[in-house]
Amino acid sequence: MFKKILIANRGEIAVRIIKACQEMGISTVAVFSDADRLSLHVQIADEAIGIGPPPAVESYLDMDRIIQAAQKTGAEAIHPGYGFLAENAAFARRCEKERIVFIGPNSDALELVGDKVRSRQTMEKVDIPIIPGMKGIVKDISAIKIEARKIGYPVMIKASAGGGGKGMRVVFDEKELIPSLEAGMREAKSAFGDESVYLEKYIEDPRHVEFQVLADNHGHVVHLFERECSIQRRHQKIVEETPSQALDPELRARMGETARKVMQVSRYNNAGTVEFLLDKDKNFYFLEVNARLQVEHPVTELTTGTDLVHHQIKIATGEKLPFKQEDLEQKGHAIECRIYAEDPHNNFLPSSGKILYFKEPQGPGVRHDCGIYSGWDVPIYYDPILAKLIVWAENRETACQRMIKALDDYVILGVKTNIRFLRDLIGHPQFRKGETTTSFIQDHFADWTGEKDSEKMQTLALLAAAFDSMQEISSGRGSSTAKKEAYSPWLSIGKWRLGGK
Amino acid sequence: VEFEFLLNDVMQKISLEKKEGFYVFFDGQKTYKADIQHISPHQISILIDDVSYRVYIAKDKESRYFLIDGQVFFVKEPTEEAEGFHKEEERTAEGTLLIKAPMPGKVIKICVSEKDEVRKNQTLAIVEAMKMENEIKAPKDGTIKDIHVSAGDLVDSEMPLIELEP
Repeated sequence: MFKKILIANRGEIAVRIIKACQEMGISTVAVFSDADRLSLHVQIADEAIGIGPPPAVESYLDMDRIIQAAQKTGAEAIHPGYGFLAENAAFARRCEKERIVFIGPNSDALELVGDKVRSRQTMEKVDIPIIPGMKGIVKDISAIKIEARKIGYPVMIKASAGGGGKGMRVVFDEKELIPSLEAGMREAKSAFGDESVYLEKYIEDPRHVEFQVLADNHGHVVHLFERECSIQRRHQKIVEETPSQALDPELRARMGETARKVMQVSRYNNAGTVEFLLDKDKNFYFLEVNARLQVEHPVTELTTGTDLVHHQIKIATGEKLPFKQEDLEQKGHAIECRIYAEDPHNNFLPSSGKILYFKEPQGPGVRHDCGIYSGWDVPIYYDPILAKLIVWAENRETACQRMIKALDDYVILGVKTNIRFLRDLIGHPQFRKGETTTSFIQDHFADWTGEKDSEKMQTLALLAAAFDSMQEISSGRGSSTAKKEAYSPWLSIGKWRLGGK
Repeated sequence: VEFEFLLNDVMQKISLEKKEGFYVFFDGQKTYKADIQHISPHQISILIDDVSYRVYIAKDKESRYFLIDGQVFFVKEPTEEAEGFHKEEERTAEGTLLIKAPMPGKVIKICVSEKDEVRKNQTLAIVEAMKMENEIKAPKDGTIKDIHVSAGDLVDSEMPLIELEP
C-alpha cells in the first residue's frame, strides 16, 4: 500500500480523497494555488505545497509544478480527482515516466477514451451503438458547414478533451454555427488547455444514463450499475440519482454489459464511467467514457455499499477486485444535489464572496461532501461547486422527501446559492414521477422565480433584525439604525396568523 | 423602539420593545408578544404563541443575512442612496447607460466597437467567471458611446464595461 499520496485537486473532491487516504492510513499532500491558501483541503492534509498563481493554467494544470511537489514530498502516487489533469493522458504518461503512480487509468486507455473521436471509431467497430457524428475534430472552420449539413441540424458542438458541459453548444441552424464554434473552442481552451471540438447529431429530449465501472490491473471489469444524470442546466449536471426510473432489469443488464465491453475494448483500468444517451424509445447510444472519479460517484457508493476512492487506491497498488459482477446489487435509492455558488434569480451568474455562516444538514441517510466552511472566501477562478448533498433512502419517494428536508435545513449565508432552486426542483411533480429528461429544467424551470417570501417570514426577518440591532445597541457596539418616532406612515407588511406555522 | 430596514431592497418598518423579559413587537397592524433568545452568534430562537422559529443570522459590513424556513433575507440599513436605488440601469450625467460587470471575472471578448449601433439583447461582451462564459447583453437599442475595458482585463463586480447611448 502507498505511504503517501498527493491530491492534485481542490475543493470538495480534494477533501473527499484526503479523507479516504486518512481512513486507509495513508499520508496526504495537498497542492494549492495562491487563491486557495485558506481552503479546506489545505487545512486537513498532512502536507500542503503552493503551486502558483490563481489561474488554473498556472497552478492546478501545471504538470511540472505538480510533479515537483510530489517529488519534493516523496509522494508515491497522485490522485487527480476530477477536472484539471484528471483525464490528461500526457500527465498520466509523465507520472509513469517519473515513476509516480497515477491513480486512474493507464495512459494508453486514457488517450483512447479521452480522444472522443477515436474512441467513437473504436466502439463503432465492435458494434457498440453510437450517435451519428463527425469522424474527426474540427480543423477547417470553412469545411464545418458541410459536415454540419451532412449530420443534419440540430447539431451539438463538443470539446474533444473534456466534459462537464464546458465548450458544449447546441446549434439549431447554420447562422449560429460559426459563433457557437468559436465560443466552444475558447471555452474548451480555457477549461482543458485544448481547443479541439467536434460535431455530432443532437438527440432531443433524451435521458442521460451512465454506468460506473471498476476495472483492476488483472483484466477484471465490473459495473456498479447506473446513475441517471438527466437534470442538467447548460449541459451541467445538477441532480443525479440511482437507480434510473427509465431502466428495467433487462435494459439495465444490457447497458451494464455494454459498459463493461467498452472498458474491455479500451483496455481500461481503475474507476471510470461509461455515458449513454437513452432516447424516448429506450434506444441507448454510447456517448463517451469519463476516465475519472465522477462528481456524482457518492450515489453509487450509497446504493452499492462500496467506497470508490478506496477501490481506486487499491486497484492502483495492483490489488485484485474483491467482488465479481454477480456479487453486486443495488439497494434503495440515492439522490445527489450539487450546491453551487450561483444566483438562480439572476441567470445563475456565479456568486463569489465570503461565506459568513454555514451549517450543513445532518440526519439518517444524509451525506454531505464539502469543501467549504464559515468564513471562507469563494474564489472567482474555479468551478462554483461548493458541496454535494447526497441522501439515501429505502425508496425514491422517501429519498425525495429526505432531500427536500435536508435542503430546507441547509444554511449558507453570505454568498448566493442554488439551494432554493434545487428544493423546488426535487419537489416538482414531474420530478417526483421520475419524468426526467435533459430538457427538464428548460421545460419546467425556465421562468423560475421561486416562491414569494411569505409576509409572515418577512415579519420574522424584520423582528430578528430589530432584535439584533437592539442587542448591538445595548451591548454598546452601536448601530447606525435609524430610530424614529412612530408617526411615519406604516408600510403594511400584512397579517400575522396566530398559531399557524 | 422603531426600526427601519431595507428588507430585500424594500423599505420596511417594525417596532420592538423589551418588557418583563419578553419582547413586544408591532408589525404595523397588531401587537404581539415574543420570546426571543440568542442561542449563538449565528442563531436566534423565537417563540410566538408557542410556535417555535429558528432564525440563522450572519453579517458583513453592509448587510445582515437571515435564513428562516429555507428562505434567505437580506437586511440593510436604509440610506439616502439606497432609497433611490434602481437596479435595472444606471445612467451617467450625460444620460448614457452604464453597462457593468455582473460579477468579478475576466473579459474574454468585446464584441462591439465605439459608435456601433446595437439592438436590445445583442451581445456586447463576454465575461468569463468560474470557467463559464457569460454574455453581457445590451439592455436597450442604442449606440456604443465608450468602451472602458479590453479583452484580457480582470474586472470586479459593478465595474463599468461599456457606455451605451439609447
